[in-house]
Amino acid sequence: MAKPTITTLSLCVAILFGAAACGPSLVIQNVDFAQPLESVLTPDSENQVHDQRYAIKFSISGILEKEGADSVDEIRLIRSSAGYYFVTAHGFNNVYVFETEESELKLKRIIEITRNGIGQPAFNQRSTHIELIDRATGDTYNLDHVGRR
Amino acid sequence: MKTTFSTIVALLFVTSATLYAQQSDYQIQQDFRANHAELTERINAATSTDELSDISIDIDALEADYSEYSSLINAAVYPDTFSGMVRDLRNRYNATSVNLTALEQANERIDDLMAQVDDFRNRLAEMDEEIADLKQQIDRSSANERRQAALIRQYRQNVEQRDTFVTDVLEQLMSRYQEVDSATQDEIAAALERMSDNPIELLKTIIAEYTNMADQDSGLETPDFVRMRAQHGYFSDVWNRIGDRLANTFAPDNPVQARQEVTDMLAAWLASIDNKLWNALTTSFNQNGIELPPFTSASTFNNALNQYVDNAIEVSRESNSEEDYQVYRNFANYWNNTVKAQWGELLVNGGILSTSDMAAIDVKLNEWGENATPTSNLMFILFLISLAVIIGLVVLLVTKKS
Repeated sequence: MAKPTITTLSLCVAILFGAAACGPSLVIQNVDFAQPLESVLTPDSENQVHDQRYAIKFSISGILEKEGADSVDEIRLIRSSAGYYFVTAHGFNNVYVFETEESELKLKRIIEITRNGIGQPAFNQRSTHIELIDRATGDTYNLDHVGRR
Repeated sequence: MKTTFSTIVALLFVTSATLYAQQSDYQIQQDFRANHAELTERINAATSTDELSDISIDIDALEADYSEYSSLINAAVYPDTFSGMVRDLRNRYNATSVNLTALEQANERIDDLMAQVDDFRNRLAEMDEEIADLKQQIDRSSANERRQAALIRQYRQNVEQRDTFVTDVLEQLMSRYQEVDSATQDEIAAALERMSDNPIELLKTIIAEYTNMADQDSGLETPDFVRMRAQHGYFSDVWNRIGDRLANTFAPDNPVQARQEVTDMLAAWLASIDNKLWNALTTSFNQNGIELPPFTSASTFNNALNQYVDNAIEVSRESNSEEDYQVYRNFANYWNNTVKAQWGELLVNGGILSTSDMAAIDVKLNEWGENATPTSNLMFILFLISLAVIIGLVVLLVTKKS
């Protein structure tokens, strides 16, 4: 009785290993997703922004809701070398960090910058981090997907 | 002291680092694009090489200011590049510079042409005024013959000066337009709108004034009308050579009509000259005792001359009198010393007589001279005397022998 059971289990394990061996297993390491310049995007009437150059289109309604804002004239978007998207806008207190999923941008982190709203935000791509500057105040913040550095 | 200095240096470093950090990469490339677009627009809108020289300096400044951000700009303007965009500006600059230089040279040529036409017209107007003034003085001084003769001499000199001036104008027009290329024609045609005057209008004015002068009776005589005919001949020749080019250049919309207008005016001028010329020629020959058959054109004038000489030769052959010889000498004198010597070139240039026409008259004149010269009887008398002496001597010898 025990022998057929062991045989069946062994067969199942062999099939599982075989199936795993036949699936995609290629992983490319050290990919640089860095977007050299931020994108400055104007939302349409449905709060959709479309970056033609870097080919991404999404709704900012959720971000506005989180930020407690009704609308913005434009948002600033940049992708770090690790592949995370950083989003902010004039008057926002925070920078929103997203990671990509299938047809999704999933909020990774909200980095609080100020409680008074960022005056004139701008992202710069730096080799090890994303630089956020407030041209209104001259303040500079070094960010990554974990938070402020 | 050393610590203070180090602190200042550190502060300066931090400050400069902060200033650098406050620059937005996005803004830098936006500023570059805006500057590039502005320079492109300035190059396209430039209307003089002076404006362009400023732009050249600004292109150099743009390159110097943004070269440190070239990799950033390369990423922003891909597939263009920073150096490609600067090179594009310089190429546009060079092409515009070449075009503007050519345009400015063309404008200078047009300005020169307009100034030249204005000068011609002003000088002609002055001459016409002087001639009109003299004409009035001649009309007023009819009571004083000596004064009138002096005024007519002056009048004639002024007309000759005007002729010389117009000939110079035509020479210049010919040298300028006889070999004019299509590019120059296009260039002038493009500038026609800003030309208040042009050579065709100038020629029309000259012809109209000549016609007016020929129509007036201002004490002018045969040589003056022959000179006018010669001037007309030269004018027609020049027009035949450059008329097409002038019409195509200065009346590109309707060259055929422009050419026909001038041709018609030339015909009217010739009719005015001829209206006076044949009567004046008849009078001149009559005043010198030469009664030519009637003539009203160049060909009938030539026929009249030939007919007169042919008849005279016939008469001389028949009578061979001293009186005929005087007629011959009178005609030969007038023909050689006045018609040929004084008017010859003008007659040829004016299409009144050709050199072969005159040569034919010369041949006939020789024949007339041979027939008209009276034959002497002296030789015959001497022969008779000699014969009488010989007969006398023979008779004397015979008488002595016998």
